[in-house]
Amino acid sequence: MTQQELNSKKIFEEAREAVLRQHTRRHFLKESAMGLGALALGSILGSCGRGSAKQVSTILYDPANPLAPRPPMFPGKAKSVIYLHMAGAPSQLELFDYKPELAKLDGQECPPSLMEGKKFAFIRGKASLLAPQAKFAQHGQSGLWISNYLPHFSTIADEVAIIKSMTTDQFNHAPAQLFMHTGSPRLGRPAIGAWVTYGLGTENQNLPGYVVLTSGGNDPDAGKSAWGSGFLPSVYQGVQCRSEGDPVLFINDPHGMDRDLRRASIDAINKINQHQHEEYKDPETLSRISQYEMAYKMQIAAPQVMNINDEPQYIHDMYGTKPGEVSFANNVLLARRLVEKGVRFVQLFDWGWDSHGTDPQTALDIGMINKCRKVDKAMTALILDLKQRGMLDETLVIWGGEFGRTPMQENRELVTAPFKGRDHHTDAFCIWMAGGGIRGGSTYGETDEIGYNVISGRTEPFDIQATILNQLGFDHEKFTYEFQGRPFRLTDVKGRVIEEILA
Amino acid sequence: MIIVALLLSISEVIGNFHPVLVHLPIGILLLAGLFQLLSLKPQFSSLHAATGIALFWGMISAIASCISGYLLSQSGDYDEELVNTHKWFGISTAFISLIAYLFNRWENVFAKWVILVMIPSIIVTGHLGGSLTHGSDYLTKGFSNNEASTAGEMKPIADVQEANVYADIIQPIFENKCYTCHNKRKRKGGLRLDEPSFILKGGKDGEVIKPGNAVESDMIKRILLPRNDEDHMPPKEKPQLRENEIEILHWWVSTGATFDKKTKELEQPEKIKPILLSLQKEVKKVMPDVPQAPVAEADEKAIRKLQERGIVVLPVGQNTNYLKANFVTVDSVTIDDIALLLEIKKQLVWLDLSGNEISDTILTYVSRLTNLTRLQLDHTLITDKGIASLESLVDLQYLNLVGTIITAKGILQLKSLPRLQAIYLYKTFINSAEWQMLKDNFPKVTLDTGGYSVPILETDTTVVTLPAKKN
Repeated sequence: MTQQELNSKKIFEEAREAVLRQHTRRHFLKESAMGLGALALGSILGSCGRGSAKQVSTILYDPANPLAPRPPMFPGKAKSVIYLHMAGAPSQLELFDYKPELAKLDGQECPPSLMEGKKFAFIRGKASLLAPQAKFAQHGQSGLWISNYLPHFSTIADEVAIIKSMTTDQFNHAPAQLFMHTGSPRLGRPAIGAWVTYGLGTENQNLPGYVVLTSGGNDPDAGKSAWGSGFLPSVYQGVQCRSEGDPVLFINDPHGMDRDLRRASIDAINKINQHQHEEYKDPETLSRISQYEMAYKMQIAAPQVMNINDEPQYIHDMYGTKPGEVSFANNVLLARRLVEKGVRFVQLFDWGWDSHGTDPQTALDIGMINKCRKVDKAMTALILDLKQRGMLDETLVIWGGEFGRTPMQENRELVTAPFKGRDHHTDAFCIWMAGGGIRGGSTYGETDEIGYNVISGRTEPFDIQATILNQLGFDHEKFTYEFQGRPFRLTDVKGRVIEEILA
Repeated sequence: MIIVALLLSISEVIGNFHPVLVHLPIGILLLAGLFQLLSLKPQFSSLHAATGIALFWGMISAIASCISGYLLSQSGDYDEELVNTHKWFGISTAFISLIAYLFNRWENVFAKWVILVMIPSIIVTGHLGGSLTHGSDYLTKGFSNNEASTAGEMKPIADVQEANVYADIIQPIFENKCYTCHNKRKRKGGLRLDEPSFILKGGKDGEVIKPGNAVESDMIKRILLPRNDEDHMPPKEKPQLRENEIEILHWWVSTGATFDKKTKELEQPEKIKPILLSLQKEVKKVMPDVPQAPVAEADEKAIRKLQERGIVVLPVGQNTNYLKANFVTVDSVTIDDIALLLEIKKQLVWLDLSGNEISDTILTYVSRLTNLTRLQLDHTLITDKGIASLESLVDLQYLNLVGTIITAKGILQLKSLPRLQAIYLYKTFINSAEWQMLKDNFPKVTLDTGGYSVPILETDTTVVTLPAKKN
């Protein structure tokens, strides 16, 4: 054998080995298990008759077209969702939970019996109660209590339902945010928006079904996992868009590349991916192909919808928007535009609500007022604008944080904070919902006289999630995804639809 | 003592099996009748042997049902009168089945006549038993269209202060949420809530309310227990009390659980006032925007053709064949598209044409989609002339005309639509002077004029800083 022959033989063997190496133990087990399973299933179904083998599973998603629109389990009241998350947790005691008794007890020591066995992020030992810093009044025909921190919002009291009895079991931002959005304080679960996109697909094939917008200078502590797809196919994760400059980085074709060339290159990439899929049958490859397709279509559609410059001046006045800046107001207006174009789930995060009182920015009577001023007008405008466009009854709007704040003033290492602030509190906070089949002007649940504990209508993140799914037409107990050998639910083993606030 | 208690609990367990056991004699004895009937024909004469076996086991199970039924009736949870009729019919049935079995065994010629009598006796007994557990109207419930009773909402009260607290406020709550188990017919735990005297008397475990002391009243205690608690009322699988209803019951008991007083005669804490006031408000009945009547599946070919055009056509839910359609990514709507929609007109209930160049001509085709309940025509080119054709959409509830050149004259043409709930008219050509006239013409419809503004406040743009610490 010549050297050349030896070389080619060696290359041939290496190639063969490489192919064999692709067949890992995992592949072998998976394929043989599937094969045996399929054989068994075939014989079972054969004896039952084909007609009886009707699929019971609730969602059938097509990996080649994972975002195709699908019907919900039953006709839902809401078509889309706008979730406004105030990252850092706004103080319920300065906004919606009116506690005159707490004002009387200002400066007095919090009874140790209340704090015994509780974990706080910073408070240790004794702490004194802190009076509500805002002034409260009843608003609208329904007489909801709303503070003077939200002068605009209080004019639409009759449109919203306030849940005053929210609780959670996580006292740090990241896990609490994950719990709120994915149903688990740990990583790895899909966010509500991912579940919804998995269940409903998207009606507008030129835009993603699940868009995320952030403001306030930082992303939420939970990071991108708060809009991740977890164990769901990755195509269902939230698409984070920027409200300044290009909505998605590199969305424009580079200089010298025209639309035809872009098409040709995407076709070529898809062909290779198709080949790859035929070999390994990984559904994620199909998702990838469809994502390239969507990206191509989005290049035209996204810049159009994300451009708020073409809104008339009176809309900018209404929302308080200034085109070109990164702000909560701009994001809220974008959310309305996206929902109008058929996007299912728009998730907003506004950072900077962590009022510990360690500096003026986090003081309840300084920084928090400024935060309120930045969101009050825009969120009020959103509700009114959706209403006048005939969209409020089919758009569910949710506003809230990841936990509440203590009735006590924060102290760190027994030193009282220099400004008026409150620590993280898991036992009571408020969330409001509007539109999408929610009964306006209603409240649910109640806390004790100082707003420490819930005394009636205790609500958990699971209940909010169950309610969101219900309004979209899903039974949260039956809406599942098979993973690691068992069906998983957004609400795990809990959750109750809060019927009391439904119209 | 222990043995007596044990025997009592065993008898209770056996009694609880009655609702399961009763199905056996019903099934087996009816089958015996069928066998008897069939065996009269020569080709089925071999079934005669089976009749005897069926009669034997039917009789045994009928006797077992009688015993368990007797034990269940001892619990006192049911209306005595009704139970008695059911009991005697049941015992007669068992007795007749015994006779039938014996006659059949002795080859007596009257055997088939006894079986003939046995059949209606089973049916009557079964029906009486069913009425005991499910209510006397359980058979006909499906036929009656009494929406008010299923909605479970209280009727609005003209003047809540003048209302009789028990008759007008408390009794309707009991009726909606408690009567199914605590009434004349069925008295779970020995408790009846349908008459004042029974309410005060309480149940097996004693009084359920202590007038003037809500916290110590068993009824209120149980209502406030967590839903998963075994003692929680109403049981977790039954319709639950709303928070307002709980507040009202609490207030009623703590003010002495009166049966003849008016609201104004009772003390009213701050908390209860808005709740009482809310009883005066008319609860707007939510009309379903998907028809209740089932419909056949739509033509798949038509749906596929529409989807190829980029039109989203989908069932409104997996549990129904009704469809919705929207044109969100379609650039131009043609008459052909609407013609395709006409092929699925029976199923199509929601249609979204917003933002498309819909002309009056196309609208005349749309007006033939007579099952539509929701129609979005916002930001289209339709005019007053075209909108007249929508008069044919008698089921229409929601109509969006935002951003069109429709005027008040155009809207008035829709006056006759009987089910309309809301019309959205923001950015249309209606003079503000005409609003009142329009509202008078559409007394039951929400006309949303839009044009809301959020005032510009000085505080919107000012920033609070350190020196201005005190707000």
